[in-house]
Amino acid sequence: MSSRRSRVSEEEINELISKLQSLLPEARRRGGGRASAAKLLKETCNYIRSLNREVDDLSGRLSALMATMDHNSAEAEIIRSLLRQ
Amino acid sequence: MAISDAEGESPAAAKEVGGERKRKRLAERSLLAKWKTEGERKSYSSKLIEALRVVRRSSCPAPRAVRVAADRALAVTARGRSRWSRAILSRRTLKLRSRARVARLKPPAAAAGPRAAERRKPPALEQKARVLGRLVPGCRKLPLATLLEEATDYIAALEMQVRAMSAVAEILSAAAGGGRSSSVAAEPM
Repeated sequence: MSSRRSRVSEEEINELISKLQSLLPEARRRGGGRASAAKLLKETCNYIRSLNREVDDLSGRLSALMATMDHNSAEAEIIRSLLRQ
Repeated sequence: MAISDAEGESPAAAKEVGGERKRKRLAERSLLAKWKTEGERKSYSSKLIEALRVVRRSSCPAPRAVRVAADRALAVTARGRSRWSRAILSRRTLKLRSRARVARLKPPAAAAGPRAAERRKPPALEQKARVLGRLVPGCRKLPLATLLEEATDYIAALEMQVRAMSAVAEILSAAAGGGRSSSVAAEPM
């Protein structure tokens, strides 16, 4: 990472931050008054952690479901519903 | 769940390295939207196939293995456009979240001269940026702007992963026999 005066201006960072803000669920609810960058970063980290947790839970749920199902019927069921969409 | 598509390009900044950066930004925005549409279906199907293969291989499927398969499929769907996806794909084994990593704290009282431009960022911001860098795969040592780009893409992808996996879980639990079905209200997409 070069330490010369970076071409990425404060402006660009602010833009990226507001883009990030529009993705965070809380910001959407609040109606988007600009929060501080540090607060946003913190919320981002928390959001990513909670998403990860959700995926882990779902993984657990899926593995349990698949363990109890006959493999072929599981696959068949999924393919059937894919075709239905 | 609509991503606000506010056009925030500053014409002044565009004069610089200019056209290319602006084009890249516009492209990024449409890439984010992709996680909600076609990309979603593709990841859906490839992830299913992956997860089923995992089940077949072992008689006792671990949730960890399902997670790994789901992540891989997610990364494949990203088609190498982002750092985090490339990082996931180059994980050779099950990534163990090792807590034994020693936190590398740089003493803040380092040279203030040549680093003046970066010192403008308060240490609180830097620290949070570092945490964020650890959360997004393969993004530990990135400059803040790039890190933020990766993070936004990663978040959109994760959201899609959650939606797709929930849908699969619904299908399977419905098929497994009514008693196990949970009533999760489907989100309007």
